[in-house]
Amino acid sequence: MTQTLSILLSVHIIIGIIGTIASYATLLWLFKRKIPIRLLKISSITAFAAYIIAWITGGYYYVVYYGSNVKPIIKDGPNPWAHSIIMETKEHIFLFLPLLAFVILLVVWLKGDNLQENRSLRNALALVILITLMISVSMALGGIVISGSAR
Amino acid sequence: MDLHTFLITIHLIGVALGVGGATFGGILYLKALKDSKIDPMEGEWLSVIFTTLRVGLVIVVLSGFGFFIEYRMTGQEEHLLDPRLWAKLTIILILVSNALLIQMRKMPMWLGEGLSITSWYGALALGIMRDADYSYWTFLIFYAVVVFVMIGILSIIKRLYLGKWII
Repeated sequence: MTQTLSILLSVHIIIGIIGTIASYATLLWLFKRKIPIRLLKISSITAFAAYIIAWITGGYYYVVYYGSNVKPIIKDGPNPWAHSIIMETKEHIFLFLPLLAFVILLVVWLKGDNLQENRSLRNALALVILITLMISVSMALGGIVISGSAR
Repeated sequence: MDLHTFLITIHLIGVALGVGGATFGGILYLKALKDSKIDPMEGEWLSVIFTTLRVGLVIVVLSGFGFFIEYRMTGQEEHLLDPRLWAKLTIILILVSNALLIQMRKMPMWLGEGLSITSWYGALALGIMRDADYSYWTFLIFYAVVVFVMIGILSIIKRLYLGKWII
């Protein structure tokens, strides 16, 4: 693997985890007695930017290196399902993350001031963030299994 | 300092903040319960401790994924499927879910407190027990047993300190 690809993969992992942490923080702050709108705006935009960067870096790594170098090793190894099930799922489900993060971003930035009083809006937003968080955590755990199977 | 030493140092700082925060959070919460109310100063201290705890959690997660990168880049991928690592990841997931449920006021304090303290000490123990060669489920069953033992111990401590049973 070239140094550039190593850096891209590292950025994909770290920035993906930063996105997960930002989504988690958004959900946590949404349930504070006094909702900190400014912090919600920062965390929601961080999550959105992080998922976009993770998407680009991960996508580039997949196309340039993973498909031709890592995939054959996994498919010939003891856990071929790590590619055929987990990576295939990851490739498609990941695409929800930037879109969901964008929806969260829009609600927080445009309707943030209503969140304190409008409980149904807050709960609906919490559900969307929870789904985003669950997908994001699954992506991270899937990444560990895929990398662990590349031997 | 090489990357591995750097990651271990950062990871230990995170664990220290988490374990320390969970312990002192528990002690301070117990002291606050003595007069059956949490006054503003106690509330402020608890808030500082919980913030420290969350900072510790973020450091642990980020440095943990730093190890992931290190293993991937240095051809030590076999560590990534180690049952000890997956038990630790599960405990961290329980920890973050617990913090979220406490924040949402959906978690009773007796259970949340027991889970928080056991999870932090459990993650610490799993980090130390480098030669422990058990299956993922053995680790988790042991963890579940310790959670209930910890809940019992905390109840007895509260009974002795407060003079009444509190759940």
